[in-house]
Amino acid sequence: MTSPIKPPEGNWWDQPVNRRESIWLGLGVGWALVLFGWMSAFTRIGDQNPIGETYRVTSEELQERVDEFEAAAEERDDGALVPAGDDIYVVGYQFDWDGLPVVLETGREYDFHLGSYDVQHGFSIRPEHAYSQQINLHVTPGKEWVVPMEFDEPGTYHVLCNEFCGEGHRGMHNTIIVED
Amino acid sequence: MSHALDVFGWFDNEYDGEGFRTCSVTSFDVHRSVENYVKLYGVTAVVFLLIGGIFAFTIAMTRWEAIGLLEPGDYYRHLSMHAWSMLIFWIIFMEIAILYVGGPMVLGRKLPAKWAAAAGYVVMLAGSVLIYYSIWTVSGDPTSDNAPLLTAYVPLEINPLFYVSAIVFLIGVTLAALPFLLTLWDEKRENPGKTLPLVTFGAFVAAIIAVQSILGGLIAFGGALAWQLGYAPWFDASIYRQWFWIIGHGTQQINLVAMIVVWYLVTHVIGGAEVVSEKVSRTAFILYLFFIVMGAAHHLMVDPGLSAGWRIWNTSYAFYGATFASLIHAFTIPAGLEAGRRKRGKGGGLFGWLTSAPWRNPVFASSIFAIILFGFLGGITGVLMGQLQLNMSWHNTFATVGHFHSTVVLGTTLTFMGVVYFVIRTMFMREFVSPKLTTLQPYLYSGGMALTALMMMYVGILYGIPRRTAEVVENIPGTDFSIAGAAPLFDVFGLVAIFAIGGGALFVLLAVGSLLFGDRIEPGDGDLAPDGGSTTQQATDSRTIAPRNDLEQAEDPDDPVHAYEMRGTFVLCLIFLAVFVVAYILNWFLLTQLWSIGA
Ligand code: HEM
Ligand SMILES: [Cu+2]
Ligand SMILES: [Cu+2]
Repeated sequence: MTSPIKPPEGNWWDQPVNRRESIWLGLGVGWALVLFGWMSAFTRIGDQNPIGETYRVTSEELQERVDEFEAAAEERDDGALVPAGDDIYVVGYQFDWDGLPVVLETGREYDFHLGSYDVQHGFSIRPEHAYSQQINLHVTPGKEWVVPMEFDEPGTYHVLCNEFCGEGHRGMHNTIIVED
Repeated sequence: MSHALDVFGWFDNEYDGEGFRTCSVTSFDVHRSVENYVKLYGVTAVVFLLIGGIFAFTIAMTRWEAIGLLEPGDYYRHLSMHAWSMLIFWIIFMEIAILYVGGPMVLGRKLPAKWAAAAGYVVMLAGSVLIYYSIWTVSGDPTSDNAPLLTAYVPLEINPLFYVSAIVFLIGVTLAALPFLLTLWDEKRENPGKTLPLVTFGAFVAAIIAVQSILGGLIAFGGALAWQLGYAPWFDASIYRQWFWIIGHGTQQINLVAMIVVWYLVTHVIGGAEVVSEKVSRTAFILYLFFIVMGAAHHLMVDPGLSAGWRIWNTSYAFYGATFASLIHAFTIPAGLEAGRRKRGKGGGLFGWLTSAPWRNPVFASSIFAIILFGFLGGITGVLMGQLQLNMSWHNTFATVGHFHSTVVLGTTLTFMGVVYFVIRTMFMREFVSPKLTTLQPYLYSGGMALTALMMMYVGILYGIPRRTAEVVENIPGTDFSIAGAAPLFDVFGLVAIFAIGGGALFVLLAVGSLLFGDRIEPGDGDLAPDGGSTTQQATDSRTIAPRNDLEQAEDPDDPVHAYEMRGTFVLCLIFLAVFVVAYILNWFLLTQLWSIGA
């Protein structure tokens, strides 16, 4: 009567449900609400959210902005840029990150302008002192994504690309130097 | 009655005048037309599994950089071959076979529109060969001719022939699915008042999701092609990603539903499971139907240009509707086994129903391991990485690869391997060449693959190792930096991957060996009986042999299955939920250790 390969007979809809099964259904609903509730609440109360304004841009416009940013910044002996303000640019192209390396200060909030000149790339960043602390964001051409970040620990942060973007993809590396 | 071309005697079962025979294991009325196409699609699928497996070896040995088998340019071609052979060809050819089982075979009907099954097969095969050609001939020039990998993301320059071939393949799948849909149409017209069996109902849900996915795929690949040819300059990376993931994610949900259908079927036919509540199980399938298409969004969690509200709503399938559906099946399938076996006196105590189960039967073992490993490894990680914020620590890392090898390999592939064994025994009517090894194979493969997937997750989450790259641990070209700390873990990864590939190779050997050299089982041979059939007949442990008559469906309406104890299942589910909660908290803990990010 209750075979999955035979049509159920009679009024199968009104068959009672086992008590433990009902309890499990209740637990399932509860857990689903926790998952949803926490994820939504964290956008308000949490410090780690992949959220920021996005603007449409062409590659040429983006290139101009990065050029302006680099011109305004001060270049150190090691080639790293010390930005003039709180905006910094990290723009992927085959096969490097434009706008890097930069020198940032701990405890100061920067607006990261993420984008791409050509194909899709993956912005993947981790500090040299703790690989497990890593953040990954996707970048697409045609979009400038402004995501604020504030570092609390000094160190060298390595930016890799983790979206396949052509044969040189594996060499797409640059750094962000965070100092006190 | 063998056909002249049928040199292996694969298509020569005895049928009655109408072309039907009754299966001694499932008691299905099997029509020749259905059975022959199930065999054809199934055997073809195994060939693709073999091809994909060869590439699994080359890419795993490249990611194990101590070996470093392939040059980077070759790596991406091999990775593309692996992904398309496995995820698309092996799985979808199997799924067409499963649709034919779930529809016409379960309902005891002929295959309608046989021409569509034949044409679908030819077109799918042609699409596959074209896709192989367009992958293998890639030059690797970044500005003009890149390997597509699975995703072929616009605006990476990819051979237009690739998109054309993908569309050809999709057209083939549509044709091949037609006989299934027509079967349901005919069945409903002839028996309007009759409810479809649960397995058929589930297969129908899978087919509807397939229609959605195919439409998404046509827009994605067609749009990409139009963009390449200059007809659609507005088609961009973000639009492609949304449509691509309608098919990319949709096909994973087809895998999920198809595999759940198989689980209901296998636990019933071989383990004596019953359906503890038609209402609950069917509602779960309906929830999939409503919510699953939204899941495409969880590939876009860290994409620019999408509001947080949109991402949260979609990634959660509207308040986790589809996750809830999976939690339901996580209970009802083992509960069906527990209650069904208790009812037949096959289970004392808390877990007697489980310990007495036919563990030596490879069809059964494959499905049960798939249920467990898919749930614990694939399901939990899927929900974790699908959360808006947690996705930042998973996206495009090797951990993502670990997640989907837990779903499509530990879940789908393992389940489908069991289906192939089942088809060999009950439709090709062949004994396994080595019953002992066949019993062992699901243990080896699931063990090796589970470790492989865990290692992938480990290096991905705790070392931030990126996916889709040939070099990152030993050397990153152009810099002194490399994630060298992960090298020892990759040694472990490489070894367990070889082990897993060995388990997969053993499957192909056993399947093909049995088809070619296995003794023929004569019709009416009693040993095809489920628990006593398969390799368990050799078992000396009497507990593993449960004669068919014991497992006969109990017909007594005064003895309803829902009234039987489900304690064991309940405990297992609570353990599952506890692991889920702990993994959830751990992931969130790791995330909150990070510097602050986001508006
Ligand atoms: C023993 C078996 C297997 C091993 C050792 C293995 C190993 C791997 C490795 C190392 C990668 C590449 C990761 C990267 O660089 O991003 C990969 C990718 C992949 N594998 Fe497997 N795999 C196996 C079986 C399977 C099966 C059975 C399926 C599907 C049913 C599958 C589907 C995929 C897919 C879809 C990708 C992603 C390709 C892409 O990024 O475009 N694999 N696998
Ligand atoms: Cu890249
Ligand atoms: Cu998905």
